[in-house]
Amino acid sequence: MERRDFLKRALNFFIASAALLSSALLLRFISPRQKTAIEQYHYLMQEDELPRRGVKKVEFTIEQYGKKRTQRIFISAAKGSVTALSPVCTHLGCTVVWDHNSSEFVCPCHAGRYNISGEVISGPPPKPLERFTLRVESGRVFIGWKA
Amino acid sequence: MISRVIEWMDERFGIVSIHRRILRRPMPEDISYGYCLGGMAFTFFLILAVTGMMLSLYYVPSETEAYRSVQKITEEVPLGWLVRSMHKWSASLFIIFILLHTLRVFIAKAYRKPRELNWMVGVFVLVLAMGSGFTGYLLPWDQRAYWATEVGTSMAGTVPFIGEYLLHLVRGGPEVNGNTLVRFYSLHMLYIPLSISAGLWMHFHMVRRQGVSKRL
Repeated sequence: MERRDFLKRALNFFIASAALLSSALLLRFISPRQKTAIEQYHYLMQEDELPRRGVKKVEFTIEQYGKKRTQRIFISAAKGSVTALSPVCTHLGCTVVWDHNSSEFVCPCHAGRYNISGEVISGPPPKPLERFTLRVESGRVFIGWKA
Repeated sequence: MISRVIEWMDERFGIVSIHRRILRRPMPEDISYGYCLGGMAFTFFLILAVTGMMLSLYYVPSETEAYRSVQKITEEVPLGWLVRSMHKWSASLFIIFILLHTLRVFIAKAYRKPRELNWMVGVFVLVLAMGSGFTGYLLPWDQRAYWATEVGTSMAGTVPFIGEYLLHLVRGGPEVNGNTLVRFYSLHMLYIPLSISAGLWMHFHMVRRQGVSKRL
């Protein structure tokens, strides 16, 4: 075999295998994994530790993508109902703080303000703060978290 | 079998002779690997095009969904991390190789007549490539992306007289928000790649017409 023919064949072989490999990878890439988000319940606190009035900051640990992560949420009690609110501002994802003086959640980034139930009072946030389900079982409070 | 299909098509389409004209052209004997730099840059452009098309199957250009979709690509989509990393690294290498190629052309004085227009087209492509990098940087929609765009676009506001107008033009409003994201996505996906393709076509056509310049 001549040098030129060998190189031509080698190149064709290389291109063909590269094309085959890429198509296999592409096929793998476009077939998404069937995975539905399951709501998991994490222990938060005892029932008698729930605030009767006002807002309490609570931390709990979740496991996501194989890593442990501390998650902070607000437990807010107003008008006899208790809700678990995400501290993530719905505008651009900064962390809101509870302002005791004005009794509002305030976002430090663009001055978005939410009331004690997480509804928007003023500022750029398009939606109220995200709520999580709370479940009480024999005096223990659990929070529903979609992994 | 394959060669018969190609023959059948070529009889009607005449693609093989064009393919030969482009890929099998005579080159001067005394050129170095420095002449591969432009081709390397073009290779990265092709990788960017393919991986970009793949990413577009999963990316959602919306204020609420963009970050989540990127997270999904990286963590959940099979091989999504690989495709995204290839896109990201190729983007940097694309610019680096264009710059190295520019340097080689400059050192070889290959920008002189009759190749001045090709130099201009090359600079046009470089600017577009940087624009593509800038618009693509916003798309992950995380804090770094947001603030980089905030700072980057604010420079447009310093232009005398028409600064404010320019700022609104690039941001799609007074501040960086969902409008900016969609605008940058459109530029990144459609306008800039098409313009680069047109520019490269001109670039290659002129190289083909004028040949590579000899070294000094």
